[in-house]
Amino acid sequence: MKHLKRIFHIAGNDVRIMVSDKTFFFWTLMFPIFFIVLFGLLYKSSDNAPPAAELIVVNQDQGRWGAYFLEKIKSPGIELKIVATEPAEYNRLIILPPDFSAKIEARKDQALAFKKREDASVKAAARVETRLYQAIARVLSELVLYGEGDLTKFLDKHSEFRDLVQVKSRFPEKTVTVVPSGFDHSIPGATVQFIMMMVMIYGGISVMEERKKGIMGRMLFSPLSTGELFQAKLLGRWIMGMLQALMLFVVGKIFFHLNLGSVPLSLLVIAVFSLAMAALSVFIGSLCTKEDMIIGLAVLLSNVFAALGGCWWPSEIVPQGVRTAAMISPAYWAMDALHKLRFFQGDFSAILPHLGILLGLSLILAFLAGRYFKIRE
Amino acid sequence: MRRLLLILKNDVRRHLKSPLAIIIYIIIPLAMTGLIGIIFGPGENENTLPPIQVVLVDHDKSLASRLFLGAFDADQMKKMFQVTVADEAEGRKRMEKGKASAMVVIPERFTLDLLDIKPVTLEVIKNPAEQFLPDVVEEFMNTMAVILSGAVQAFEPEARGIRTMLDLPVDAFPWERLGPEFGKAQKKVVAAMKYLNPLLLSLKEEKTKAAGAKAALSRTDIFSVILPGMAIMFLLFIVQTVMRDMISERQDGKLRRMLTTPLRTWELIGARILGGWLMGIVVLLVMVAFGTLVFHVHWGPFGWFLLLGAVGAFWTAAFFALMNALVRNRNQAGALGAPIILAFSLFGGSMMNPEGMPKAFRTVGIITPNRWFIDGAALIRDGRFPTVSLLVLTISGVILLAFAVPALRRRSTV
Repeated sequence: MKHLKRIFHIAGNDVRIMVSDKTFFFWTLMFPIFFIVLFGLLYKSSDNAPPAAELIVVNQDQGRWGAYFLEKIKSPGIELKIVATEPAEYNRLIILPPDFSAKIEARKDQALAFKKREDASVKAAARVETRLYQAIARVLSELVLYGEGDLTKFLDKHSEFRDLVQVKSRFPEKTVTVVPSGFDHSIPGATVQFIMMMVMIYGGISVMEERKKGIMGRMLFSPLSTGELFQAKLLGRWIMGMLQALMLFVVGKIFFHLNLGSVPLSLLVIAVFSLAMAALSVFIGSLCTKEDMIIGLAVLLSNVFAALGGCWWPSEIVPQGVRTAAMISPAYWAMDALHKLRFFQGDFSAILPHLGILLGLSLILAFLAGRYFKIRE
Repeated sequence: MRRLLLILKNDVRRHLKSPLAIIIYIIIPLAMTGLIGIIFGPGENENTLPPIQVVLVDHDKSLASRLFLGAFDADQMKKMFQVTVADEAEGRKRMEKGKASAMVVIPERFTLDLLDIKPVTLEVIKNPAEQFLPDVVEEFMNTMAVILSGAVQAFEPEARGIRTMLDLPVDAFPWERLGPEFGKAQKKVVAAMKYLNPLLLSLKEEKTKAAGAKAALSRTDIFSVILPGMAIMFLLFIVQTVMRDMISERQDGKLRRMLTTPLRTWELIGARILGGWLMGIVVLLVMVAFGTLVFHVHWGPFGWFLLLGAVGAFWTAAFFALMNALVRNRNQAGALGAPIILAFSLFGGSMMNPEGMPKAFRTVGIITPNRWFIDGAALIRDGRFPTVSLLVLTISGVILLAFAVPALRRRSTV
């Protein structure tokens, strides 16, 4: 019991020193929140393309088919703007040439110029492009149905297209019921990234400084063993990570309506992940002799792990090779487990492999940290 | 001046003895540029997205569903989609493992209902953990649905004929009537070919830069866009690290001892600022060399970029000179420096393209050196001289220096 008390006492003291640091709240709260807002808004804007995607139509057609084709394009999700000449600024634009009708009536093939601005909404562009292809398919179906008759009389009388095949989309049962918000993606990502950065920087530097200044050496004059000191350092850094995660989750819940799925299981994932990072921070702090080196390593590792692990962008858009390589990142396992809990309403068994891997990594890193843990220079 | 150069030489020698931190700070931007470029740069086939994994659940197992599956087998579709036929439970498992973006469910009686010209519904079950790819599958299915609806309507009598054939026993079907029906169908197919081969109407996506449209970026372009942002971010870190010596020397009394020699305060301050500036230029040159050799980054006219780099490094040295004059000790400098650099980088566009940022973030970005450096580098890449960026960085740098030097002199003599 005394043994535990001593460990908790030192760990608590480490946390107290950290919290009393003026920049602590910038690193643990303010800066991650900037990230959350920025990435949350970015995800949001990519998730929700404008309610009506704009399409400018340069209709130069001299016949009746241009107007008929435009009728086929019309849909609640598309905002058509018909102009006579090509404007200088646009997001998406299609040109119906002067001989559009003439070519159709002569059954001559034609390719319509479709221009899209690269930095405009990708989703809106995809929606417009799909609608254009669908409009073409509708017109072609009607033409096939019309057969070899005189196409100049087509618009006077023809069979109308019917949508016999419908598509209904939904999410799998027992998962989400509403589309997750951008913040549901950005908050776990920022939390995982900043736990890595914070615990490694603060935890690593304090281990190094206490060793260099002889503080740890002096501590051993008390009834404290090296093992207890090591465990206390590990516990202190683990609490740092947990504290940061709790703060971000609470802020996320209050201000961004964060939904984690199962809160206790999400915290369990973060707990095991923080343990791995705590061990890594003690390991780095034991190996490095300069503050700048620790900061550099922490920034390098946390950024690479975060980028690979899916903290910055959805892993679905990443090439397969990078996705495979991402498995070396502890952030990948934490993010994947959080995704399972949030998006698939997963239970304990769903995240068991992730917990196992993170726990295994924690044990390896803790072993290495213990092996290289030094009391004096 | 000789003494100033001697101090500078001594500082450089000292930093070269333990260069690990600086090397790490040089590696980070290059590693991040490489990673982001690999992920977002278009590959050899100009496809920016990996093939989309789709699970097809076929409850129909008949003619139409086979045709449907066959559509995914076309060469162009294969580049876009990788289809696996499985049941719903397996499909869900694949989604949970991140190995499927969506599951397409073909209902029972799909073929029979189509042949009866009855409405049918295909289900697209989207992976809730993914944000973009499931929507691509949904849009593709919508298009397929239109094509299938069109085909069924165009061949409605034939479809009804096949339906009747399926219902009747083989010996009860009037086979002799099939000949003329096939003849009619052939005529329709021949007529349809006039519209479908080649397609009477198609889209031609233009990648030209005409009238406001931008050309697509190649992977090298992506590296060229990312690296300057990363370079200025880590230039700030490196110059901060190098110039923090000023505070250490003040704190541990080295400065006071140095000033007992015939050294003048301005020489000492000048050497440190010059050291930070030169170190910045050298580090930037190393990054430029690596960027050119490894990523084939296009910088534009090199002389202009060098000028921008020199001005950027000067601004950085002047900024940290002032900051070091204002902070009390090394810990305070460390605690303030990194957040300031990260805030500069976040708002200034080192971490993401400013065009994608909320307007408020972009406005704040104007007061960061990152923004002006990145804008300047972009102009140089386009072959234009970055006058505004150079002016803003130089003038603000000189102002910072004008405040820094007297403040540092005061600090040094206390």
